[in-house]
Amino acid sequence: MSMQIDDDQIEIIQEFVTESRDMIEQLEPAIIELGQNSDPETINAIFRLFHSMKGSAGFLEFDHLTRVAHAAENLLDLIRNKEIELVPDHVNLLCASCDFAKEALDMIESDYNDDSMVSAADDISEKLHQAIERGKNPELQAAEEDAPKAPAPTSQALSVDNAEAAEDGFPQMEITEEMRLSFVQEGNELLQNAEQGLLLWGESPEDKDSLGEVFRHIHSFKGNCGFFGFSDLEKLSHQMENILDRAKSGSKLAVDNPADQLLASLDILQQGINNISEGKTDSINNLHDHIEDLNRLVAPLLGDFLVEEGVLEEAISTAVQTQKKPVGEILIQQGSASKEQIDTALKKQLDNLNKAKAEVKPAARTKTPAKRQDIRVELGKLDNLINLIGELVIAENMLIHNPDLKGLELENFNKAGQHMSKLVRELQEMAMTIRMIPVSGLFRRMIRLVHDISVKAGKKVDLQLIGEETEIDKTVIETITDPLVHLLRNSLDHGLETPAERVATGKNEKGTVRLSARHEEGEVWVTIEDDGRGLNRAKILEKAISKGLIEGDGSDLTEKQINNLIFAPGFSTAAQITDISGRGVGMDVVKRNLEKIKGKIDVNTTPGKGTRITLRIPLTLAIIDGMIVRVGTTTCIVPTLSILEAYRPEMDQITITPDGAELARVRENFFPIVRLHEILDKEPDSRNLSDGILIVLEYLDSRFCLFIDEILGQQQTVIKGLSDFIGTVPGVSGCTILGDGGVSLILDVGTLVESADSKKLDSEDVE
Amino acid sequence: MAEDLTMTNLDNEDTQKDKYLTFHLAGEDYGIEIRYVIEIIGIQNITEVPDMPSFIRGVINLRGKVIPVMDVRARFNLSDRDYDDRTCIIVVNVEGTEVGLVVDEVSEVADIPENHVEPPPKTSKDSEGSYIQGMGKINNDVKILLDVHKLLYSGEMQELSASLDEQ
Repeated sequence: MSMQIDDDQIEIIQEFVTESRDMIEQLEPAIIELGQNSDPETINAIFRLFHSMKGSAGFLEFDHLTRVAHAAENLLDLIRNKEIELVPDHVNLLCASCDFAKEALDMIESDYNDDSMVSAADDISEKLHQAIERGKNPELQAAEEDAPKAPAPTSQALSVDNAEAAEDGFPQMEITEEMRLSFVQEGNELLQNAEQGLLLWGESPEDKDSLGEVFRHIHSFKGNCGFFGFSDLEKLSHQMENILDRAKSGSKLAVDNPADQLLASLDILQQGINNISEGKTDSINNLHDHIEDLNRLVAPLLGDFLVEEGVLEEAISTAVQTQKKPVGEILIQQGSASKEQIDTALKKQLDNLNKAKAEVKPAARTKTPAKRQDIRVELGKLDNLINLIGELVIAENMLIHNPDLKGLELENFNKAGQHMSKLVRELQEMAMTIRMIPVSGLFRRMIRLVHDISVKAGKKVDLQLIGEETEIDKTVIETITDPLVHLLRNSLDHGLETPAERVATGKNEKGTVRLSARHEEGEVWVTIEDDGRGLNRAKILEKAISKGLIEGDGSDLTEKQINNLIFAPGFSTAAQITDISGRGVGMDVVKRNLEKIKGKIDVNTTPGKGTRITLRIPLTLAIIDGMIVRVGTTTCIVPTLSILEAYRPEMDQITITPDGAELARVRENFFPIVRLHEILDKEPDSRNLSDGILIVLEYLDSRFCLFIDEILGQQQTVIKGLSDFIGTVPGVSGCTILGDGGVSLILDVGTLVESADSKKLDSEDVE
Repeated sequence: MAEDLTMTNLDNEDTQKDKYLTFHLAGEDYGIEIRYVIEIIGIQNITEVPDMPSFIRGVINLRGKVIPVMDVRARFNLSDRDYDDRTCIIVVNVEGTEVGLVVDEVSEVADIPENHVEPPPKTSKDSEGSYIQGMGKINNDVKILLDVHKLLYSGEMQELSASLDEQ
């Protein structure tokens, strides 16, 4: 690896790193799932992932990563073949392997080799081997007994040499790439022909020729599979062959036309072939179910029922040999069975047929879905595209509302303009959806977290994920990842009680944490809900008072305000700092990150019943609905989301406190007034409050009134950052370009409150 | 292909060397290296931004890009003058950051070879001395060559960005 690495190789390596990261991300939740139910499908999925990682890493000569992946694969293989009982230790070990792989990938990304991971790799693979040894020894014999179909790779699994690591996943036999290719090719042809034959047969069941053809194709396919050792495919095709054989010889099948069922099985075979061509194993998910399905197609034989009815087996077989007449008649002739016996048997046969008919799923054709085509695009390019479209929206506005056109009768121009507006709108919506990705990735990452914490904290947790398909802007997902982690930690560490406590309070020993996402009121709501003990208000108040976060005894605070105290930096009611939580940092992170994306947090809690925390996030970051307001000659944008109402105040609604603060009465409440012209340092039309407009704004839970001259209108605005050169401006979150090409500042409601407060303090100082 | 590109780049560097965009400001002639200059636009509506040093006049919309605008007169503590139709904004790009510079009038692109450039007067106690890269001589005219980087970042702007970093 010391040779010069050229650009091509770097590209390949980078691709490998991103791909492997994706794989690990998928892998982790599956591993945790494994701990809960060892469904063979899951094991196979994990096995495949490790296997492909091993393959790619081996190809790129990342020996240590290969070694670990190989060891993990060995363990999984043994579990898969039921030679080793799955124990929780294995789950942890596999998680550790994932962690190792992540670290190794980081290393590879920066240094293009994984040499520095030697000791870690040694450690992990050693542990994996130990696990294999331990799992194996007590059951070595049993393992040999029940593994007749796939000889366990016992002999070589333990010697994990690097050279061997790159070897293929089919230890039983040497299959060259060429052979595999020709198998895939031939298999494809056979299956295609079989499918055509089946379709023909399905249309005209009398057509025995096509049936015979199907039978031949399936038969050769089975032979090929057997030769290459693809045992799952072989089994399934064998079962199909049986059925076809029966159909060919004219026996009754459970359904009049089993072609549909057979086609479904063909699809499964096709999938198997696809997998093989991609270098994966031939394992078929739910193989057993599929074979069962096929079995139901086979009509039970009359003879079986006759035996049940007490008719001698010998007699039946003689009868069967005579064959020309229906079995029943022969038996009666022979006197070996009474008419009644036969009747009952026939009835039974009929019943059974009907039952089988009902059981066979009606044409369960799951055609291999068209492969979803994805391309990886650099995020920067996408952002540029979205910026360009944002500019297009502005340019379109400037064109359609061009002052030069004023007063002109332009029928055709207007038509064309409307058409363009529609297209631009659609383009914009489309562009926004490109950035949207489902939250499932984020949610699935939490499975691992919850697993780890529940083990550490000794709690039993059932994590439910709801609305995984909800799509959120990629940046938003990145921003809420940390908050979610902190919130979940809190739920698990503080919210949920220990199993003993839960049982004592009559709850299920296993706590439930529900993580859900959904669209609501033009926002995305991500909710974390637990059925734990709920927030302890008294404790929160006590702590807040002792920390000086609130004045007085807190009796004047609303429930909501008390709940929101938990978001204060450094706030924690935990008596003890555990390694999971208690430092009082987490909730502050939650609040800050949510502020960044203009989100809100709702806290609902019922003592003893649980807590629900809802993160309310605007659908997109790049575009907001804004109200255009004017102060003097300046226009600004106020995000519509924060506006509760706007009105022209009467002087008797205004109260001025002795220290000079102005308060506006809105129905039963008094809100402080912030004068926008003071913040922007502008000359307003009038300083008289009753000449202007007050907009009631809400930020988290504080409300205030913003005094402006006039509301000019409402507009969808594309948010642009102020230049880096200027940096952050208090009171301003960004800017946008208006229809006339001018720049307008977007007000930051959050910092407006603070700057209003500080201004108030300044004026008090002067006094 | 790649070689061709580097060749053209070299050519560009060559053609830009020793070339300065010169402009008038309060009776003096100034010059800035042409490689920083992106374009020259007429004065347009500037949106003020609160809490900025006085010489940052605000932001403008340059074909969909929002860029800050600095008044060079105010930067040098020269007296204010109303903008007229000769007032220009020179858009410069310094290390990826685009900024507009308001000047009285743009004159020309001048060739000032290295040996015609004198080092800045060391004795100057005036604070603006720090923005000067050198004094360029063309025949009998003297052009004050400005260091664009320092023009943008030294002094108050430095403090501003430093305080931002602390936050």
